[in-house]
Formats: sequence, structure tokens, C-alpha cells
Amino acid sequence: MAEMEAALLEIIKNHAVGLTGPLTRETPVSDLGIDSFAVVEIIYEVEEKLHVEVPFNANENPFGEMKSVGDLIDALEKLAKPA
Amino acid sequence: MTRRVVVTGLGGVCATGANVPEFWENLKAGKCGIDKRTYSAGEGLDITLPVAPVDNFETRAAELGRDMTRADRFTQFAIAAADEAVADSGIDLASGLGARTAAIIGTGIGGQAAMDAAYIGMLRHGRRPHPLSILKTIPNAAASHVSIRYGARGPAFAISSACASGAHAIGVCAEFIRSGVADAGIAGASEAVLTFGALEAWKAMHIVSDELCRPFSKNRKGLVIGEGAGVLVLEEYEAAKARGAKIYAELVGFGMNADGKDMINPDVNGAAGAMRIALETVKIDDPSAVYINAHGTGTLMNDPTETKAIRDVFGADADKLVVSSTKSMHGHLLGAAGGIEAIASILALKNGVVPPTVNYDEPDPACDLDYAPNEAKERKIDVAISNSFAFGGLNAVLAFKRV
Repeated sequence: MAEMEAALLEIIKNHAVGLTGPLTRETPVSDLGIDSFAVVEIIYEVEEKLHVEVPFNANENPFGEMKSVGDLIDALEKLAKPA
Repeated sequence: MTRRVVVTGLGGVCATGANVPEFWENLKAGKCGIDKRTYSAGEGLDITLPVAPVDNFETRAAELGRDMTRADRFTQFAIAAADEAVADSGIDLASGLGARTAAIIGTGIGGQAAMDAAYIGMLRHGRRPHPLSILKTIPNAAASHVSIRYGARGPAFAISSACASGAHAIGVCAEFIRSGVADAGIAGASEAVLTFGALEAWKAMHIVSDELCRPFSKNRKGLVIGEGAGVLVLEEYEAAKARGAKIYAELVGFGMNADGKDMINPDVNGAAGAMRIALETVKIDDPSAVYINAHGTGTLMNDPTETKAIRDVFGADADKLVVSSTKSMHGHLLGAAGGIEAIASILALKNGVVPPTVNYDEPDPACDLDYAPNEAKERKIDVAISNSFAFGGLNAVLAFKRV
């Protein structure tokens, strides 16, 4: 799971044009500077590189209750767990 | 009072120039940018053809900003050219002029590489298309990015008329300024189709040369596909004068029509008609001071047809004027041809130098004009004409004069 966390951080970092400091679990999603389309790109990369399918409709609030990067990592790990 | 339209900025990128000054130096020197290259879509899918490629553009594209990492090569070319043209013109679009500035960027195809990548990914590797595939591919992507980058919020769209796209874009933009729909414009065209799939499709037409491009020469073997973009900044003359802009030329004539006959065979009457419309209000005092930057593709059909059309329009004066095809150097930029060739025409006019038709070996009785073979020549030019005749019989001709 640490591998997945590192991979996700790397993907997010490439799109986080608003990020000034280091990217950690505690970084608020709102500080990343990612627009709605960058979210679509991030999800595409997650699906292609990490082979995790992310159910997602860009017409809905993409983050729901997720506020921090840690929330995103937890959500991804949950999706990756075999049913 | 009739509004006049002038050219105040030039920007271009093609095989023979990363920018306009380099392009012009190479045109004068007769430098040919054609070379054999191999394009691949994966194992077993390779094509090797002579082309006129823009080398090492990836490094430059990476420096064009984040938006351009999300754009196809044809849009990156358009932005590289537009950046140069806008900077060259010194126009200030933030001052309120932006709302009255058009962004019209033509293209024959649009995002060929993005579309190819999506299909190769799906069919060869079982990958889904990247979410940006559509936004990269749509033919208006370049026009939209130009509009966004400079805040040009007047009429903005792509024009697609195959090899006449660039001339149509510049001519239509000028008409908008002339009629008062806009006060300024960023207009030109871009093309980037040097991919395995597109080149196979071109090869299937059997009109692509297997060596050089030799327009009007008896031993011509067809066209050579190039890539790149040519973009102009156009302004209403009084406004340009009032702000002290450097003025390259006035766009004094624009002729467009259609053959209405055939998808591939060119037509003397259509080509001649478009030139006549462009020259309707242009006074020519000295026919020896006329330069025609020909469509001059180097195909069996185009060159004699264009020659006949020029004779039809100019009569006996056709033997006094000078014609050249710069496609012999920068290749056929397809949709962008009218953009880059408008720049060649304007600089020929401004500098009094006729860029040559290179790779010219043998006279052809069916092509019997002065084509400025192989070497540039100094010459007083009063009127520069840029011809574009597209597949599908769509013709667009631009005429420039000094102010």
C-alpha cells in the first residue's frame, strides 16, 4: 500500500500547479490548484498506471467529503482492495 | 469611408525556420528543408518518406507553458507562431482591443497526432483514450488556444478548406476588419500531420514525391508534406498608424471561389477567377513588379493548370511578372500553406527579393513562366500575390502591397 501511496502522490504532484510546499497526506486538496479537468486526468492516470478503476462522473463533485490528500489516498486504497 | 487592413506582425515555424527571421534568411539562400524520415506506429507499422519536418520542436513546445502540454502539435505550432507575431506587432490586447480582436486559425485536419495516439493505444495496446483526446483533436483547438492566450474575444474559429485554409483564414479575418466586425485579428493556419497513419493515407493518393519537391520543373514527381504554422497580426490601418505600429504591408485584395467541379483535378477557370477577384481593386502600374507566390505543389496537374490560370489573368503581362513556389523549400504545409506563404510573399514585397523555386532542373513546355529557378533575385515588387488552391476545388488568393 505504501507503493500505491507513493505512486498517487507522484501523479498528483504532476498536476498540482498550485502547490508551494511539499506534498503530504495533510496537504488540503484545495491547496493543489487542480482544476476540474486535471481531476479527470489524474483519475485516468490512476486507472492506467495503478490499474484501479475509479467510478466517477465529472458532473458530480469529484471530491465529495474528501478534504486532504490523505483522504484521497485512503479512498484509493479502499478501491484497490479486492472485494 | 473604406477601412483598410494592414499586417503588423509575423510569426512562423516550418522546416526551414524556427521563426520568421530564420525562415526569411533560408528562403533567400534557397535552403531546402526536405529530408527522408521514418514515422512509426509501433512494430511493423513504419513509413519512410521525404518530408519537410520541424526538428527538435518538442523542447520548444515544453517551454510554451502548461496549457501547451495539454495540446496537440498543431496547436503548439500555432501558439509558437502566434507568440512571435503578437510580440512582433507590439499590439496591446489588454487595453480593451481584445474584445474587438478576431482569432481565426485554419487547419486541414487538426489534431492528427492526438487522434492517432488514441487509436494506436486502443487497437494495439488495449488502452482507453486519454481524456484530453477530444480537446487536442478538434480543429478549433488552435483558434481557441490563441483566443485564450491573448484574450482575443472577437470572432474566433477554425477555417478548414484543406490547402487553402490559411489563405481563407487571413482573408476572412481581413474582411471582418474591413467591414467593422473586428478591429484587429490574429489569423493564419497550422498543420501537423507527419504521422504514420496520415502519411500512409497521403501515399495512397499517389501524388507524393519519393524524392524532392520540384515545382514547375519537367522532372517533378509530386508534393512533399511539410508541417508548421504561419500567423499574421492584422489591424485596421488608421488604428495601426495611430499607435505607431510597424506596418509590413496592406492586404489589398482577397479572392475566394470554388471550382464546383471535382474533388482532385484543379480547374484553370476557378484558379483564374479567384486571382481576378483578389485583383479587382488592385491597380497594377508595372507588371514586371508583380510577384506571385504560387500554390506550386510540384504535382503533375497543379503546376501547368496554375500556369495557364496566371496567363489567363495577366495575358501578355504574364511574361513580365515573376512566380515562385517556396514549397520547394519548406514543403507543402497543407492547411498552413497559406499562412507561411503569406509571410514569404509579404517579406518578398517588403525586401524586394524574390525567393526562388529550388530543385528546378528542366523547363516544361506546359510551365512557361519565369519561376525564379534555384536562386533568389533582387527585384522591385509592388504587388505580391499568394495563391492557394485546395483539394475539393476551393480557391483563396491574397494580394499585398506596401502602404
